[in-house]
Amino acid sequence: MANTLRLYLTCIRNTLEAVMCLQNFPCQEVERHNKPEVELMTSPELLLNPVLICRNEAEKCLIETSINSIRISMKVKQADELENILAKKFLRFLSMRAEAFQVLRRKPVQGYDISFLITNYHCEDMHRNKLIDFIVQFMEDIDKEIVELKLSVNTRGRLVATEFLKQFI
Amino acid sequence: MILLQSTSRFLLQILQNRLLSSEKSVDIDCHSVEFDDVRYHVQFSVKSPLVMVLSVSLPTPPPGTVFANGLPLGAIEAIKSAYGEVVQILDPPKDGYNLTMRLNLAKLPQDEEQRQTTLVKIASVREVVLGAPLRMILQHLASRTVSPNVGQVVALVHRAKESFFLIPQVEKATVIFPMRFKDSIDMVLATSFLQEFVEARRATALINAPLCTWSPNPPQELKEVPSEALAANAGFVTFVIYPRHADGRKLDKTAWSLSTFHAYVNYHVKCSEGFMHTRMRRRVESLIQALDRAKPELETKNATQGINFKRLSLVDGSGNSNF
Repeated sequence: MANTLRLYLTCIRNTLEAVMCLQNFPCQEVERHNKPEVELMTSPELLLNPVLICRNEAEKCLIETSINSIRISMKVKQADELENILAKKFLRFLSMRAEAFQVLRRKPVQGYDISFLITNYHCEDMHRNKLIDFIVQFMEDIDKEIVELKLSVNTRGRLVATEFLKQFI
Repeated sequence: MILLQSTSRFLLQILQNRLLSSEKSVDIDCHSVEFDDVRYHVQFSVKSPLVMVLSVSLPTPPPGTVFANGLPLGAIEAIKSAYGEVVQILDPPKDGYNLTMRLNLAKLPQDEEQRQTTLVKIASVREVVLGAPLRMILQHLASRTVSPNVGQVVALVHRAKESFFLIPQVEKATVIFPMRFKDSIDMVLATSFLQEFVEARRATALINAPLCTWSPNPPQELKEVPSEALAANAGFVTFVIYPRHADGRKLDKTAWSLSTFHAYVNYHVKCSEGFMHTRMRRRVESLIQALDRAKPELETKNATQGINFKRLSLVDGSGNSNF
C-alpha cells in the first residue's frame, strides 16, 4: 500500500517539476493587468494540456498548466462515511486558513477536494524545489492525517464502549 | 473523566459550603442547568438557614411515557425512601418545575461519614427521580418476581421529547435506545462509536456484560410503538439486561448508566471532535512551517543587515539634500 502511494507521489512530483516553468505574462485583453491565465482561460494559446494522475478511481490529481500559473487539484480517498466526514472537516479547516498558505485556493475546483494555485510570483518569491516539496508533503500529510484521525476515533470508541460495559460486571 | 458522574457538583458544592461555612445568614437563590434539559433551582432564606428549597425541572416527556403529576412513575416513593425524614415534598411544585422539595439540613445524620453520603445522595436527585421507573423494573428482574407489565413495551424519558424503550420479561429485560443526533458529523461519529460497542462486547473480559447489538432499523420488539417515536438517524442500540446485572449493589449503577446512555455517547462524540480540532490545528502549523521553508528569507537574514544599513544612510543622505 505504502509503495503505491510512493509511486503516485513520485509521479506527481516529476510532473510538477516539468510543469513549473512559469514566466511573467501580462493579460492580453486588459492593459496593465496580470492575471493567472489558468483561472481565466481566455486565450487558448496560453494554456497547455492538463495532466490527470490517478492512483485509483477515488484518488486523483489534476494538474492544469498555463504560461504564468498552474492549478493543482486533488481528490482524497473516502472509503466510508467516517472517512468522508473526516476528510471534509479537515479540508474545510485548511481552506479556511488559505491566506496562511499563500498557494492554497479558497474553493476547490469542481469535482475535487482541494486546489492549489501557483503563479509566477510564488515561484519568484519561493524556492521552486521547496515549493514542490511542500505540495507533495501536503498530499502525503492529508492522507496520513485522515488515516490517523480515523484510527483515533475508533480507538476512542472502543475505550468508551469498554468502560461503559465494564460497569455492568 | 470517562464516565458521567451521577452527583451534580453544583448541588454538592452548595450543600457543603452551607454546612461548613460559619456565615449562615445569607440568602441564596441560584439556578443551574445540566445536560439533557435538567434544571435546578436552589433557595436558602435568612430566616431558616438550614432549610433548602430545591426545585428540579425534568426534560419534557414525549407522548406515550408514563408520567404521574409531572413526575416519572414511582419517583415520589423513591425520593421518600432515599432521603427519609430530611425531605418534605411540596405540592404543587413551583411554576415551571416538576418537583419542589424542602430539605431540612438540621435533620441530617450527625455522623460525619453518613452525613456525607446523604449529601451526595441529595446531589444526585436527578438519578433518584429520573431513574425511578427503570429501577423499579430492574428490581423486579433481580428478585425474579413478575412485574405488572411483563412483555409490554415501556417508554422511559431520557431527553427532551425523546424516550428509550424497555421490555421487561421474567428472565431478562431488553433496553432499546433510538439514537438521534442533530448534527450530521455527530451522527457519523456516533454510529462508528456504537459499532465499537458491539465489537467491544465480544472481548473475553466483557463476556459477562449485557449483550449489545446495533441495527440501523427498529428491532422487531418495537413494532407496536408509533413510528414517529422511532425516527432515529444513528440506528438502534439494544442491551439485554439479565438479573445478574441488576442485583443489590449493582442496581443503582446499572440504572444510572442506562438512563444516561445517550448523554454518555454524545459527550464522547463532542470530546473526540474537540480532540480532532486540536490535532488539525497542529497539522496546519506543521504544514505552514513546510511552506515557510520554501521562502528564501531565512537564509538572507544575516546578509540583509549590512544592506539595510547602507540603504538607511542613502535615504538619510537624499533626505538631507532635499531639505
